[in-house]
Amino acid sequence: MKKIIKWYILPLGILILSLVAALFAGSKSISVKDIITVLSGGGSAFQKVIIFQVRIPRIIAAASTGAALSVSGYLIQNNLNNTLASPGILGINNGAGLFVLLFACLFPYHYAGKCFAAFIGALLVTTAIYILASVTGMSKTSIVLSGVAFSALCLSVIDIIISLKPETVADRVAFQIGGFNALNINSVKFAVPFIIIILIASLIMAPSLDILMLGDDVAGGLGLNIKFYRAAHILFAALLSGAAVSMCGIIGFMGLIVPNVVRLFYRGNSRGGIFLCMVIGASFLTLCDLLGRSLVYPYELPCGLFLSLIGAPFLVWMLIKKRKRLGMA
Amino acid sequence: MIEVKNLKTKYSYGDEFSVASALFENGRISGVIGKNGSGKSTLLKTLAGQRKYEGRILINQKECSEYSSMERAKEVAFLPQSVKNLNMDVRTLVEHGRYPYHGNFRRMGEEDEKKVNRALELTHMKSFEKRDLYELSGGERQLAYLSMIIAQDSSMILMDEPTTYMDRIHQDEFFSILRILVKEGKGIVMVCHDIEQCFAYCDKIFLMEDRKLEYAGTPDDFTQNEQIIRRNFGIAMKKSEDQESVYPFVMKK
Repeated sequence: MKKIIKWYILPLGILILSLVAALFAGSKSISVKDIITVLSGGGSAFQKVIIFQVRIPRIIAAASTGAALSVSGYLIQNNLNNTLASPGILGINNGAGLFVLLFACLFPYHYAGKCFAAFIGALLVTTAIYILASVTGMSKTSIVLSGVAFSALCLSVIDIIISLKPETVADRVAFQIGGFNALNINSVKFAVPFIIIILIASLIMAPSLDILMLGDDVAGGLGLNIKFYRAAHILFAALLSGAAVSMCGIIGFMGLIVPNVVRLFYRGNSRGGIFLCMVIGASFLTLCDLLGRSLVYPYELPCGLFLSLIGAPFLVWMLIKKRKRLGMA
Repeated sequence: MIEVKNLKTKYSYGDEFSVASALFENGRISGVIGKNGSGKSTLLKTLAGQRKYEGRILINQKECSEYSSMERAKEVAFLPQSVKNLNMDVRTLVEHGRYPYHGNFRRMGEEDEKKVNRALELTHMKSFEKRDLYELSGGERQLAYLSMIIAQDSSMILMDEPTTYMDRIHQDEFFSILRILVKEGKGIVMVCHDIEQCFAYCDKIFLMEDRKLEYAGTPDDFTQNEQIIRRNFGIAMKKSEDQESVYPFVMKK
Protein backbone atom coordinates (compact mmCIF):
# COMPACT_ATOMS: atom_id res chain seq x y z
CA MET A 1 0.00 0.00 0.00
CA LYS A 2 2.79 2.38 0.97
CA LYS A 3 4.44 1.43 -2.31
CA ILE A 4 1.32 2.28 -4.32
CA ILE A 5 1.05 5.70 -2.66
CA LYS A 6 4.73 6.44 -3.16
CA TRP A 7 5.12 5.30 -6.75
CA TYR A 8 1.66 5.85 -8.22
CA ILE A 9 -0.57 8.21 -6.25
CA LEU A 10 2.09 10.77 -5.33
CA PRO A 11 3.46 11.24 -8.88
CA LEU A 12 -0.06 11.32 -10.34
CA GLY A 13 -1.02 13.91 -7.72
CA ILE A 14 1.93 16.07 -8.75
CA LEU A 15 0.91 15.75 -12.40
CA ILE A 16 -2.69 16.75 -11.73
CA LEU A 17 -1.56 19.69 -9.59
CA SER A 18 0.77 20.95 -12.29
CA LEU A 19 -1.90 20.59 -14.97
CA VAL A 20 -4.39 22.54 -12.86
CA ALA A 21 -1.75 25.16 -12.07
CA ALA A 22 -0.94 25.49 -15.76
CA LEU A 23 -4.61 25.91 -16.59
CA PHE A 24 -5.35 28.63 -14.04
CA ALA A 25 -2.09 30.47 -13.71
CA GLY A 26 -0.20 32.11 -16.52
CA SER A 27 -0.96 35.22 -18.49
CA LYS A 28 -2.92 37.74 -16.47
CA SER A 29 -5.52 38.82 -19.02
CA ILE A 30 -7.97 36.14 -17.88
CA SER A 31 -8.74 35.68 -14.17
CA VAL A 32 -9.31 32.40 -12.35
CA LYS A 33 -13.00 33.28 -12.07
CA ASP A 34 -13.27 33.76 -15.85
CA ILE A 35 -11.65 30.39 -16.44
CA ILE A 36 -14.14 28.62 -14.18
CA THR A 37 -17.01 30.39 -15.99
CA VAL A 38 -15.64 29.29 -19.36
CA LEU A 39 -15.14 25.72 -18.22
CA SER A 40 -18.72 25.53 -16.95
CA GLY A 41 -20.03 26.72 -20.30
CA GLY A 42 -20.22 30.51 -19.98
CA GLY A 43 -17.83 33.32 -20.75
CA SER A 44 -17.26 35.48 -23.81
CA ALA A 45 -16.33 34.12 -27.22
CA PHE A 46 -12.86 35.61 -26.87
CA GLN A 47 -12.28 33.89 -23.54
CA LYS A 48 -13.50 30.59 -24.95
CA VAL A 49 -11.07 30.82 -27.83
CA ILE A 50 -8.21 31.56 -25.45
CA ILE A 51 -9.02 28.66 -23.14
CA PHE A 52 -10.05 25.98 -25.61
CA GLN A 53 -7.95 26.91 -28.65
CA VAL A 54 -4.83 28.17 -26.96
CA ARG A 55 -4.31 27.26 -23.35
CA ILE A 56 -5.69 23.70 -23.12
CA PRO A 57 -4.00 22.50 -26.35
CA ARG A 58 -0.78 24.02 -25.10
CA ILE A 59 -0.99 22.22 -21.75
CA ILE A 60 -1.80 18.94 -23.49
CA ALA A 61 1.11 19.44 -25.86
CA ALA A 62 3.54 20.28 -23.05
CA ALA A 63 2.48 17.31 -20.92
CA SER A 64 2.59 14.80 -23.75
CA THR A 65 5.90 16.15 -25.07
CA GLY A 66 7.40 15.83 -21.58
CA ALA A 67 6.13 12.28 -21.25
CA ALA A 68 7.20 11.29 -24.77
CA LEU A 69 10.74 12.65 -24.58
CA SER A 70 11.36 11.22 -21.10
CA VAL A 71 10.11 7.74 -22.02
CA SER A 72 12.03 7.91 -25.29
CA GLY A 73 15.22 8.62 -23.36
CA TYR A 74 14.47 5.88 -20.85
CA LEU A 75 13.90 3.29 -23.60
CA ILE A 76 17.09 4.23 -25.42
CA GLN A 77 19.21 4.30 -22.25
CA ASN A 78 18.01 0.96 -20.96
CA ASN A 79 18.24 -0.60 -24.38
CA LEU A 80 21.81 0.48 -24.97
CA ASN A 81 22.79 0.15 -21.31
CA ASN A 82 24.18 3.62 -21.47
CA THR A 83 22.80 6.33 -19.21
CA LEU A 84 24.41 9.01 -21.37
CA ALA A 85 22.44 8.00 -24.45
CA SER A 86 19.41 9.99 -25.52
CA PRO A 87 17.42 10.67 -28.68
CA GLY A 88 20.07 13.31 -29.37
CA ILE A 89 22.91 10.77 -29.40
CA LEU A 90 21.12 8.58 -31.91
CA GLY A 91 20.91 11.54 -34.29
CA ILE A 92 17.13 11.66 -34.17
CA ASN A 93 17.09 15.38 -33.33
CA ASN A 94 19.44 16.32 -36.14
CA GLY A 95 17.47 14.18 -38.56
CA ALA A 96 14.32 16.03 -37.61
CA GLY A 97 16.15 19.35 -37.81
CA LEU A 98 17.42 18.57 -41.31
CA PHE A 99 13.97 17.75 -42.60
CA VAL A 100 12.48 20.89 -41.10
CA LEU A 101 15.11 22.90 -42.91
CA LEU A 102 14.63 21.08 -46.21
CA PHE A 103 10.90 21.63 -45.94
CA ALA A 104 11.39 25.30 -45.14
CA CYS A 105 13.49 25.67 -48.30
CA LEU A 106 10.87 24.04 -50.49
CA PHE A 107 7.69 25.49 -48.95
CA PRO A 108 8.70 28.60 -47.01
CA TYR A 109 5.19 29.56 -45.82
CA HIS A 110 3.76 26.16 -45.00
CA TYR A 111 3.99 26.08 -41.20
CA ALA A 112 1.90 23.02 -40.39
CA GLY A 113 3.83 20.84 -42.80
CA LYS A 114 7.05 21.69 -41.04
CA CYS A 115 5.96 19.64 -38.03
CA PHE A 116 5.21 16.71 -40.23
CA ALA A 117 8.65 17.03 -41.82
CA ALA A 118 10.29 16.82 -38.38
CA PHE A 119 8.39 13.66 -37.70
CA ILE A 120 9.42 12.06 -41.00
CA GLY A 121 13.05 13.09 -40.45
CA ALA A 122 13.20 11.45 -37.02
CA LEU A 123 11.68 8.26 -38.40
CA LEU A 124 13.94 8.10 -41.46
CA VAL A 125 17.12 8.53 -39.44
CA THR A 126 16.09 5.80 -37.02
CA THR A 127 15.22 3.42 -39.84
CA ALA A 128 18.55 4.13 -41.49
CA ILE A 129 20.42 3.52 -38.21
CA TYR A 130 18.54 0.32 -37.71
CA ILE A 131 19.33 -1.01 -41.19
CA LEU A 132 22.98 -0.03 -40.88
CA ALA A 133 23.26 -1.64 -37.44
CA SER A 134 21.61 -4.83 -38.72
CA VAL A 135 24.14 -5.07 -41.52
CA THR A 136 27.04 -4.60 -39.10
CA GLY A 137 25.70 -7.09 -36.56
CA MET A 138 23.27 -5.15 -34.36
CA SER A 139 25.47 -4.78 -31.28
CA LYS A 140 24.81 -1.90 -28.92
CA THR A 141 28.04 -0.19 -29.91
CA SER A 142 27.22 -0.37 -33.60
CA ILE A 143 23.83 1.20 -32.97
CA VAL A 144 25.39 4.13 -31.10
CA LEU A 145 28.15 4.50 -33.69
CA SER A 146 25.76 4.55 -36.61
CA GLY A 147 23.66 7.08 -34.69
CA VAL A 148 26.68 9.33 -34.26
CA ALA A 149 27.53 8.90 -37.96
CA PHE A 150 24.04 9.88 -39.12
CA SER A 151 23.98 12.76 -36.67
CA ALA A 152 27.16 14.15 -38.21
CA LEU A 153 25.87 13.55 -41.72
CA CYS A 154 22.62 15.43 -41.04
CA LEU A 155 24.52 18.27 -39.39
CA SER A 156 26.81 18.73 -42.37
CA VAL A 157 23.88 18.75 -44.80
CA ILE A 158 22.19 21.32 -42.54
CA ASP A 159 25.30 23.50 -42.76
CA ILE A 160 25.43 23.15 -46.55
CA ILE A 161 21.82 24.29 -46.85
CA ILE A 162 22.44 27.26 -44.55
CA SER A 163 25.50 28.28 -46.53
CA LEU A 164 23.57 28.14 -49.79
CA LYS A 165 20.28 29.57 -48.52
CA PRO A 166 21.06 31.79 -45.51
CA GLU A 167 17.42 32.96 -45.23
CA THR A 168 16.38 29.57 -43.81
CA VAL A 169 18.51 30.10 -40.72
CA ALA A 170 15.60 31.63 -38.77
CA ASP A 171 13.58 28.44 -39.10
CA ARG A 172 16.42 26.41 -37.77
CA VAL A 173 17.08 28.62 -34.76
CA ALA A 174 13.42 28.64 -33.71
CA PHE A 175 13.29 24.90 -34.11
CA GLN A 176 16.41 24.26 -32.09
CA ILE A 177 15.46 26.28 -29.04
CA GLY A 178 12.22 24.36 -28.68
CA GLY A 179 9.04 25.57 -27.04
CA PHE A 180 5.31 25.93 -27.31
CA ASN A 181 4.85 29.60 -28.17
CA ALA A 182 4.40 28.83 -31.87
CA LEU A 183 2.35 25.71 -31.25
CA ASN A 184 0.21 24.60 -34.16
CA ILE A 185 -3.07 23.02 -33.15
CA ASN A 186 -3.02 20.64 -36.14
CA SER A 187 0.29 19.18 -35.03
CA VAL A 188 -1.20 18.61 -31.55
CA LYS A 189 -4.15 16.74 -33.04
CA PHE A 190 -1.77 14.63 -35.06
CA ALA A 191 0.94 13.94 -32.50
CA VAL A 192 -0.84 13.55 -29.15
CA PRO A 193 -3.01 10.47 -29.94
CA PHE A 194 0.05 8.94 -31.52
CA ILE A 195 2.15 9.56 -28.40
CA ILE A 196 -0.55 8.07 -26.16
CA ILE A 197 -0.72 4.87 -28.22
CA ILE A 198 3.06 4.38 -28.19
CA LEU A 199 3.26 5.12 -24.46
CA ILE A 200 0.68 2.42 -23.76
CA ALA A 201 2.50 -0.02 -26.05
CA SER A 202 5.82 0.59 -24.31
CA LEU A 203 4.19 0.08 -20.90
CA ILE A 204 2.84 -3.26 -22.11
CA MET A 205 6.19 -4.37 -23.51
CA ALA A 206 8.16 -3.11 -20.48
CA PRO A 207 9.08 -6.55 -19.02
CA SER A 208 11.08 -7.36 -22.15
CA LEU A 209 13.13 -4.21 -21.54
CA ASP A 210 14.05 -5.53 -18.09
CA ILE A 211 15.28 -8.76 -19.65
CA LEU A 212 17.22 -6.95 -22.42
CA MET A 213 19.10 -5.01 -19.74
CA LEU A 214 20.62 -8.23 -18.42
CA GLY A 215 22.76 -8.51 -21.55
CA ASP A 216 22.27 -10.54 -24.72
CA ASP A 217 23.52 -13.88 -23.39
CA VAL A 218 21.39 -13.89 -20.26
CA ALA A 219 18.37 -12.51 -22.13
CA GLY A 220 18.71 -15.23 -24.77
CA GLY A 221 18.88 -17.84 -22.01
CA LEU A 222 15.63 -16.50 -20.59
CA GLY A 223 13.95 -17.03 -23.94
CA LEU A 224 13.74 -13.43 -25.14
CA ASN A 225 13.69 -12.73 -28.87
CA ILE A 226 16.47 -10.17 -28.58
CA LYS A 227 16.52 -8.71 -32.10
CA PHE A 228 12.78 -8.23 -32.24
CA TYR A 229 12.47 -6.53 -28.88
CA ARG A 230 15.55 -4.35 -29.30
CA ALA A 231 14.18 -3.13 -32.63
CA ALA A 232 10.73 -2.57 -31.14
CA HIS A 233 12.00 -0.48 -28.23
CA ILE A 234 14.25 1.66 -30.41
CA LEU A 235 11.41 2.19 -32.88
CA PHE A 236 9.12 3.25 -30.02
CA ALA A 237 11.76 5.68 -28.79
CA ALA A 238 12.14 7.17 -32.28
CA LEU A 239 8.40 7.51 -32.82
CA LEU A 240 8.00 9.19 -29.44
CA SER A 241 10.74 11.75 -30.03
CA GLY A 242 9.62 12.27 -33.62
CA ALA A 243 6.09 13.04 -32.46
CA ALA A 244 7.34 15.33 -29.71
CA VAL A 245 9.80 17.16 -31.96
CA SER A 246 7.05 17.66 -34.53
CA MET A 247 5.09 19.72 -31.98
CA CYS A 248 7.70 21.80 -30.26
CA GLY A 249 11.13 21.52 -31.88
CA ILE A 250 14.09 20.09 -30.03
CA ILE A 251 13.95 20.05 -26.25
CA GLY A 252 17.09 18.02 -25.96
CA PHE A 253 17.83 17.85 -22.26
CA MET A 254 14.50 16.25 -21.35
CA GLY A 255 15.36 12.77 -22.64
CA LEU A 256 18.58 12.78 -20.65
CA ILE A 257 17.57 14.28 -17.34
CA VAL A 258 14.20 12.75 -16.43
CA PRO A 259 15.19 9.08 -16.88
CA ASN A 260 18.38 9.67 -14.90
CA VAL A 261 16.53 11.35 -12.06
CA VAL A 262 13.97 8.53 -12.01
CA ARG A 263 16.74 5.95 -11.97
CA LEU A 264 18.40 7.66 -9.01
CA PHE A 265 15.49 7.11 -6.65
CA TYR A 266 13.58 4.23 -8.21
CA ARG A 267 15.07 0.77 -8.61
CA GLY A 268 12.09 -1.41 -9.43
CA ASN A 269 11.15 -2.85 -12.83
CA SER A 270 10.91 -1.05 -16.17
CA ARG A 271 7.12 -0.79 -16.16
CA GLY A 272 7.31 1.35 -13.03
CA GLY A 273 10.25 3.25 -14.52
CA ILE A 274 8.39 4.06 -17.73
CA PHE A 275 5.33 5.12 -15.75
CA LEU A 276 7.40 7.42 -13.54
CA CYS A 277 9.24 8.92 -16.53
CA MET A 278 5.90 9.58 -18.17
CA VAL A 279 4.29 11.27 -15.18
CA ILE A 280 7.34 13.18 -13.95
CA GLY A 281 8.34 14.25 -17.47
CA ALA A 282 4.81 15.50 -18.14
CA SER A 283 4.59 17.47 -14.87
CA PHE A 284 8.07 18.89 -15.23
CA LEU A 285 7.64 20.21 -18.76
CA THR A 286 4.16 21.56 -17.97
CA LEU A 287 5.62 23.53 -15.07
CA CYS A 288 8.59 24.74 -17.12
CA ASP A 289 6.23 25.96 -19.81
CA LEU A 290 4.08 27.68 -17.18
CA LEU A 291 7.16 29.46 -15.84
CA GLY A 292 8.20 30.39 -19.36
CA ARG A 293 4.93 32.07 -20.22
CA SER A 294 4.15 33.71 -16.87
CA LEU A 295 7.45 34.97 -15.44
CA VAL A 296 8.16 37.70 -17.98
CA TYR A 297 4.60 38.28 -19.23
CA PRO A 298 3.68 39.59 -21.79
CA TYR A 299 6.88 38.16 -23.27
CA GLU A 300 7.76 34.49 -23.28
CA LEU A 301 10.84 32.45 -22.56
CA PRO A 302 11.16 29.02 -24.22
CA CYS A 303 10.45 26.22 -21.73
CA GLY A 304 13.62 24.36 -22.75
CA LEU A 305 15.50 27.17 -21.03
CA PHE A 306 13.89 26.54 -17.64
CA LEU A 307 14.26 22.85 -18.13
CA SER A 308 18.05 23.15 -18.19
CA LEU A 309 18.11 25.92 -15.59
CA ILE A 310 16.26 23.82 -12.98
CA GLY A 311 17.06 20.35 -14.24
CA ALA A 312 20.82 20.55 -14.53
CA PRO A 313 21.60 21.59 -10.93
CA PHE A 314 18.98 19.13 -9.68
CA LEU A 315 20.59 16.25 -11.54
CA VAL A 316 24.02 17.16 -10.18
CA TRP A 317 22.63 17.42 -6.65
CA MET A 318 20.97 14.00 -6.95
CA LEU A 319 24.21 12.49 -8.22
CA ILE A 320 26.14 13.81 -5.23
CA LYS A 321 23.46 12.56 -2.83
CA LYS A 322 23.50 9.13 -4.39
CA ARG A 323 27.28 8.92 -4.12
CA LYS A 324 26.99 9.57 -0.40
CA ARG A 325 24.28 6.96 0.05
CA LEU A 326 26.39 4.31 -1.63
CA GLY A 327 29.31 5.24 0.57
CA MET A 328 31.50 6.21 -2.37
CA ALA A 329 32.05 9.81 -1.35
CA MET B 1 18.44 -34.55 -20.81
CA ILE B 2 20.36 -33.23 -23.80
CA GLU B 3 21.42 -35.66 -26.49
CA VAL B 4 23.86 -34.51 -29.16
CA LYS B 5 24.47 -36.30 -32.48
CA ASN B 6 26.76 -35.18 -35.33
CA LEU B 7 26.62 -31.61 -34.14
CA LYS B 8 28.44 -29.08 -36.29
CA THR B 9 28.64 -25.32 -36.15
CA LYS B 10 30.92 -22.82 -37.88
CA TYR B 11 32.74 -19.86 -36.40
CA SER B 12 32.62 -16.54 -38.21
CA TYR B 13 36.33 -16.93 -39.05
CA GLY B 14 35.67 -20.28 -40.75
CA ASP B 15 36.81 -22.93 -38.25
CA GLU B 16 34.47 -25.77 -37.60
CA PHE B 17 33.23 -26.99 -34.25
CA SER B 18 31.97 -30.56 -33.96
CA VAL B 19 30.66 -33.11 -31.48
CA ALA B 20 30.08 -36.62 -32.82
CA SER B 21 27.89 -37.71 -29.95
CA ALA B 22 27.32 -36.79 -26.31
CA LEU B 23 24.74 -37.28 -23.63
CA PHE B 24 24.14 -34.80 -20.81
CA GLU B 25 21.89 -36.49 -18.31
CA ASN B 26 19.56 -35.31 -15.58
CA GLY B 27 20.61 -35.99 -12.02
CA ARG B 28 24.26 -35.41 -12.84
CA ILE B 29 26.84 -32.66 -12.88
CA SER B 30 28.65 -32.78 -16.22
CA GLY B 31 31.89 -30.84 -16.38
CA VAL B 32 33.36 -29.52 -19.63
CA ILE B 33 37.12 -28.99 -19.61
CA GLY B 34 39.68 -28.03 -22.23
CA LYS B 35 42.34 -25.49 -23.09
CA ASN B 36 41.43 -21.90 -23.85
CA GLY B 37 39.84 -21.72 -27.30
CA SER B 38 39.02 -25.42 -27.37
CA GLY B 39 35.32 -24.68 -27.84
CA LYS B 40 33.91 -25.08 -24.33
CA SER B 41 31.83 -21.94 -24.38
CA THR B 42 30.71 -22.61 -27.96
CA LEU B 43 29.43 -26.01 -26.88
CA LEU B 44 27.39 -24.45 -24.09
CA LYS B 45 25.98 -21.66 -26.24
CA THR B 46 24.99 -24.10 -28.96
CA LEU B 47 23.27 -26.37 -26.44
CA ALA B 48 21.43 -23.32 -25.11
CA GLY B 49 20.06 -22.67 -28.59
CA GLN B 50 22.01 -19.47 -29.10
CA ARG B 51 23.91 -20.59 -32.19
CA LYS B 52 22.88 -22.00 -35.54
CA TYR B 53 23.93 -25.62 -35.96
CA GLU B 54 23.79 -28.69 -38.18
CA GLY B 55 23.08 -32.14 -36.79
CA ARG B 56 20.92 -32.91 -33.84
CA ILE B 57 20.51 -31.52 -30.34
CA LEU B 58 17.64 -33.26 -28.60
CA ILE B 59 16.43 -31.49 -25.47
CA ASN B 60 14.13 -33.88 -23.65
CA GLN B 61 13.56 -35.77 -26.91
CA LYS B 62 12.68 -32.66 -28.92
CA GLU B 63 14.98 -30.94 -31.42
CA CYS B 64 16.47 -27.75 -29.95
CA SER B 65 15.68 -25.61 -33.00
CA GLU B 66 12.02 -26.68 -32.95
CA TYR B 67 11.40 -25.06 -29.59
CA SER B 68 10.16 -21.49 -29.47
CA SER B 69 12.66 -19.42 -27.50
CA MET B 70 10.32 -19.14 -24.49
CA GLU B 71 9.53 -22.87 -24.45
CA ARG B 72 13.21 -23.72 -24.71
CA ALA B 73 13.96 -21.45 -21.76
CA LYS B 74 11.63 -23.60 -19.65
CA GLU B 75 13.77 -26.66 -20.48
CA VAL B 76 17.27 -25.17 -20.53
CA ALA B 77 18.68 -22.32 -18.46
CA PHE B 78 21.95 -20.67 -19.42
CA LEU B 79 24.29 -18.64 -17.24
CA PRO B 80 27.07 -17.02 -19.31
CA GLN B 81 30.61 -16.40 -18.15
CA SER B 82 30.29 -12.69 -17.59
CA VAL B 83 27.20 -11.21 -16.02
CA LYS B 84 26.16 -7.57 -15.79
CA ASN B 85 26.44 -5.36 -12.79
CA LEU B 86 23.17 -3.48 -12.77
CA ASN B 87 21.23 -0.84 -10.92
CA MET B 88 18.76 -3.49 -9.78
CA ASP B 89 18.00 -5.23 -6.50
CA VAL B 90 18.63 -8.94 -6.07
CA ARG B 91 14.97 -9.91 -5.77
CA THR B 92 14.03 -8.13 -8.99
CA LEU B 93 16.85 -9.97 -10.75
CA VAL B 94 15.70 -13.34 -9.45
CA GLU B 95 12.12 -12.56 -10.48
CA HIS B 96 13.37 -12.16 -14.05
CA GLY B 97 14.06 -15.90 -13.96
CA ARG B 98 10.30 -16.33 -14.24
CA TYR B 99 10.13 -14.44 -17.55
CA PRO B 100 9.68 -17.59 -19.70
CA TYR B 101 6.51 -18.35 -17.72
CA HIS B 102 4.80 -14.99 -17.53
CA GLY B 103 6.31 -13.12 -20.53
CA ASN B 104 5.29 -9.51 -21.07
CA PHE B 105 1.65 -9.79 -20.26
CA ARG B 106 1.11 -11.86 -17.12
CA ARG B 107 1.95 -10.75 -13.63
CA MET B 108 3.97 -12.70 -11.08
CA GLY B 109 1.65 -15.30 -9.55
CA GLU B 110 1.79 -17.29 -6.34
CA GLU B 111 3.73 -20.10 -8.03
CA ASP B 112 6.30 -17.56 -9.31
CA GLU B 113 6.75 -16.02 -5.85
CA LYS B 114 7.23 -19.48 -4.38
CA LYS B 115 9.95 -20.39 -6.87
CA VAL B 116 11.71 -17.05 -6.34
CA ASN B 117 11.69 -17.45 -2.56
CA ARG B 118 12.88 -21.04 -2.82
CA ALA B 119 15.76 -19.99 -5.09
CA LEU B 120 16.79 -17.18 -2.74
CA GLU B 121 16.73 -19.51 0.26
CA LEU B 122 18.68 -22.21 -1.53
CA THR B 123 21.51 -19.83 -2.36
CA HIS B 124 21.36 -18.10 1.06
CA MET B 125 20.68 -14.82 -0.73
CA LYS B 126 17.38 -14.16 1.04
CA SER B 127 18.97 -11.61 3.39
CA PHE B 128 20.43 -9.82 0.34
CA GLU B 129 17.19 -9.57 -1.62
CA LYS B 130 16.80 -5.80 -1.14
CA ARG B 131 20.44 -5.09 -1.92
CA ASP B 132 21.57 -3.66 -5.22
CA LEU B 133 23.75 -5.78 -7.49
CA TYR B 134 26.25 -2.92 -7.33
CA GLU B 135 26.62 -3.39 -3.60
CA LEU B 136 27.55 -7.08 -3.86
CA SER B 137 30.95 -8.69 -4.20
CA GLY B 138 31.75 -10.59 -7.40
CA GLY B 139 30.99 -13.95 -5.80
CA GLU B 140 27.73 -12.78 -4.26
CA ARG B 141 26.65 -11.37 -7.60
CA GLN B 142 27.31 -14.73 -9.20
CA LEU B 143 25.11 -16.34 -6.52
CA ALA B 144 22.38 -13.81 -7.26
CA TYR B 145 22.45 -14.81 -10.93
CA LEU B 146 22.49 -18.47 -9.91
CA SER B 147 19.30 -17.78 -7.91
CA MET B 148 17.75 -16.34 -11.07
CA ILE B 149 18.65 -19.48 -13.02
CA ILE B 150 17.23 -21.68 -10.24
CA ALA B 151 13.98 -19.68 -10.25
CA GLN B 152 13.80 -20.37 -13.99
CA ASP B 153 13.16 -24.00 -12.93
CA SER B 154 14.35 -25.67 -16.13
CA SER B 155 15.29 -29.34 -16.23
CA MET B 156 18.80 -28.58 -17.54
CA ILE B 157 21.13 -25.83 -16.33
CA LEU B 158 24.14 -24.74 -18.41
CA MET B 159 26.83 -22.62 -16.76
CA ASP B 160 30.03 -21.14 -18.12
CA GLU B 161 32.77 -20.96 -15.47
CA PRO B 162 30.37 -19.92 -12.73
CA THR B 163 32.91 -20.01 -9.88
CA THR B 164 35.36 -17.55 -11.44
CA TYR B 165 34.74 -14.71 -8.99
CA MET B 166 34.14 -16.85 -5.89
CA ASP B 167 36.48 -17.47 -3.00
CA ARG B 168 37.00 -21.02 -1.74
CA ILE B 169 34.18 -20.96 0.80
CA HIS B 170 31.72 -19.59 -1.73
CA GLN B 171 32.84 -22.22 -4.23
CA ASP B 172 32.17 -25.05 -1.78
CA GLU B 173 28.80 -23.56 -0.99
CA PHE B 174 28.11 -23.24 -4.69
CA PHE B 175 28.79 -26.92 -5.36
CA SER B 176 26.65 -28.02 -2.43
CA ILE B 177 23.78 -26.01 -3.93
CA LEU B 178 24.35 -27.77 -7.25
CA ARG B 179 24.25 -31.11 -5.45
CA ILE B 180 20.81 -30.29 -4.04
CA LEU B 181 19.55 -29.34 -7.52
CA VAL B 182 20.95 -32.53 -9.01
CA LYS B 183 19.27 -34.63 -6.32
CA GLU B 184 15.98 -33.02 -7.36
CA GLY B 185 16.56 -34.42 -10.83
CA LYS B 186 18.02 -31.43 -12.63
CA GLY B 187 20.91 -31.90 -15.01
CA ILE B 188 23.85 -29.51 -14.84
CA VAL B 189 26.45 -28.88 -17.52
CA MET B 190 29.24 -26.53 -16.51
CA VAL B 191 32.47 -25.34 -18.04
CA CYS B 192 35.22 -25.69 -15.43
CA HIS B 193 38.63 -24.07 -15.37
CA ASP B 194 39.81 -25.64 -12.11
CA ILE B 195 40.59 -29.24 -13.00
CA GLU B 196 40.95 -30.54 -9.45
CA GLN B 197 37.61 -29.06 -8.57
CA CYS B 198 36.03 -30.48 -11.70
CA PHE B 199 37.32 -33.99 -10.86
CA ALA B 200 36.03 -33.60 -7.29
CA TYR B 201 32.50 -32.46 -8.03
CA CYS B 202 31.53 -33.60 -11.53
CA ASP B 203 29.99 -37.00 -12.19
CA LYS B 204 31.05 -37.00 -15.81
CA ILE B 205 33.71 -35.01 -17.59
CA PHE B 206 33.75 -33.94 -21.24
CA LEU B 207 37.11 -32.92 -22.69
CA MET B 208 37.18 -30.51 -25.61
CA GLU B 209 40.26 -30.45 -27.85
CA ASP B 210 40.70 -28.33 -31.00
CA ARG B 211 36.99 -27.52 -31.20
CA LYS B 212 36.01 -31.19 -30.99
CA LEU B 213 34.64 -33.29 -28.19
CA GLU B 214 37.62 -35.62 -27.70
CA TYR B 215 36.81 -37.77 -24.72
CA ALA B 216 34.07 -38.24 -22.14
CA GLY B 217 34.10 -40.28 -18.98
CA THR B 218 34.03 -40.37 -15.20
CA PRO B 219 36.98 -38.93 -13.25
CA ASP B 220 38.22 -42.52 -12.76
CA ASP B 221 38.16 -43.13 -16.52
CA PHE B 222 40.35 -40.09 -16.99
CA THR B 223 42.96 -41.24 -14.50
CA GLN B 224 43.27 -44.46 -16.48
CA ASN B 225 43.84 -42.55 -19.72
CA GLU B 226 46.52 -40.33 -18.29
CA GLN B 227 47.93 -39.10 -21.60
CA ILE B 228 44.72 -37.25 -22.56
CA ILE B 229 44.95 -34.90 -19.61
CA ARG B 230 48.70 -34.58 -19.98
CA ARG B 231 48.41 -33.71 -23.66
CA ASN B 232 45.98 -30.88 -22.90
CA PHE B 233 47.12 -29.50 -19.59
CA GLY B 234 50.72 -30.68 -19.16
CA ILE B 235 49.95 -32.40 -15.85
CA ALA B 236 48.56 -35.71 -14.66
CA MET B 237 45.53 -36.27 -12.44
CA LYS B 238 46.01 -38.95 -9.78
CA LYS B 239 43.84 -40.28 -6.98
CA SER B 240 45.02 -38.65 -3.81
CA GLU B 241 46.60 -40.94 -1.25
CA ASP B 242 47.00 -38.16 1.26
CA GLN B 243 44.11 -38.25 3.77
CA GLU B 244 44.41 -34.51 4.38
CA SER B 245 44.18 -33.35 0.78
CA VAL B 246 41.14 -31.23 -0.04
CA TYR B 247 40.19 -32.96 -3.27
CA PRO B 248 40.01 -36.70 -4.04
CA PHE B 249 42.04 -36.25 -7.22
CA VAL B 250 45.16 -34.11 -7.30
CA MET B 251 47.43 -32.64 -9.93
CA LYS B 252 50.82 -34.31 -10.33
CA LYS B 253 53.79 -33.52 -12.53
